[in-house]
Amino acid sequence: MNRLRLGLLAVGGAGLAALLVAACLDLPDFGGSRHPYGDRAVRASLARHIANTIASVNFDQRAYDTLGEMSILFAAVLGCVVLLREARDERRARPEPAEVVRPVRRYALLVLPVALLTGLYVIAHGQLSPGGGFQGGVVAATGLHLLYLGADHGALERVRPLGFFETADSLGVCAYLVLGAAGVLAGTAFLANTLLPYGTFDTLSSGGTVPLLNAAVGMEVASAVVVLLAHFLDQAVEIEEEPGR
Amino acid sequence: MSDAVTVVALLLVAASATAAVAQRDPARQALVLSFLGMVLAVLFTVLQAPDVGLSQLAVGSALTPLLIMLSVRKVRRRGRTKEERT
Amino acid sequence: MNGWILAATVELGGGGAAALWGVATGPPARRLTAQNLTTSVVCPALLLLAQGYARPAYVDLALLLALLGPVGTLVFARLLSGEQVSGPNVRGATWTAAGLDAAVVVAVCAAVGPGRSMVKLLLIGTLLIGGNIIASRALAGGFRGVGGG
Repeated sequence: MNRLRLGLLAVGGAGLAALLVAACLDLPDFGGSRHPYGDRAVRASLARHIANTIASVNFDQRAYDTLGEMSILFAAVLGCVVLLREARDERRARPEPAEVVRPVRRYALLVLPVALLTGLYVIAHGQLSPGGGFQGGVVAATGLHLLYLGADHGALERVRPLGFFETADSLGVCAYLVLGAAGVLAGTAFLANTLLPYGTFDTLSSGGTVPLLNAAVGMEVASAVVVLLAHFLDQAVEIEEEPGR
Repeated sequence: MSDAVTVVALLLVAASATAAVAQRDPARQALVLSFLGMVLAVLFTVLQAPDVGLSQLAVGSALTPLLIMLSVRKVRRRGRTKEERT
Repeated sequence: MNGWILAATVELGGGGAAALWGVATGPPARRLTAQNLTTSVVCPALLLLAQGYARPAYVDLALLLALLGPVGTLVFARLLSGEQVSGPNVRGATWTAAGLDAAVVVAVCAAVGPGRSMVKLLLIGTLLIGGNIIASRALAGGFRGVGGG
């Protein structure tokens, strides 16, 4: 029985390998002048007045895939929150406040707003230049943690209402779903980019729903990273195992 | 000749990935990993995929080191409290 | 292949190999210093590549690295502060890297001419050099007073 299963696996694997090799042989050459996918993607993105073709693929033609990726991040963060919660045999110990030398503290306080602004810039220019919701969200969330690096965990906790970020995380996912469902209600299809005018090429408001979807993803990713790091920091800095167990 | 920059980036990626695997200590691995992240971003740029490079930079330069180092700190702290008790 | 890409190749090949050697071998203090210098090696290479490909949008990568690279070094400096990480005086290497960054930023600025992209380049240069100096200051004992936090 076991050998039969292995044999079946071998046959299936060999078939898949043969198909993949055959497909690879037919791919356009590396660095060549024939770009069948690129040509089609660029044509579709220009038709929607989107300057960054990658954003057009991610948030227009393949917006459904992006929804999947977003739910993977959401589920992964949810799993981490469950795993890293304060268990029954653990207790919290306040760490002593940290003394960071002044230049580092000043640098952190100066760069923090720059990082938040850069994150917003990357999210807002998703349909114009490289970047988008994911990249910008990660930058903004990382920037917030300069407070931990420049001061200590207590300072970070004071300006970071965790419940707010948990809500924002879910709201981001909901906003994406609502934008998708709006397409259905308007009579086209789920996540179809037919709702809004395409606007002027190469401006912030171009691309129909793409900037809105980018903003939803940015909100989700930024809040998810903040929530994730909050639980990691809790475990690394505050939570200890109960002695005597 | 015009592929020279691709070759240099590829070699750096291969060498640093191997070096990251060869380290034994997780903290040192994280250091090499952050180097790997940066040269990967250059490789993606050279291959004209700046979107992917941007994702790599955003995640690899500060977020991944922070997650790894926090986990290392937690594990070490746990080891210390266990030692004190015995 | 134009001069900008050639410059990026040479800079990346030399600086990258040296930084990789430093980051993968030797005592922890040297590894941390090399990790900090990696930002100063890779970021100018990204600027030169953006100029070489004539794609101003690629400058965003350098902006992100100039912003987050020093943050990454601060993470290591902070979370390894319990160990013996403050090591030899690395002022020479830090200032050499800062000089290289400044030279590249000035060269690219001269090529793009005045305008909004020049402001962005100057911001990148400031973030990069400032971050590099602050991070090496942090490595030289900036987190010495940090205990369990």
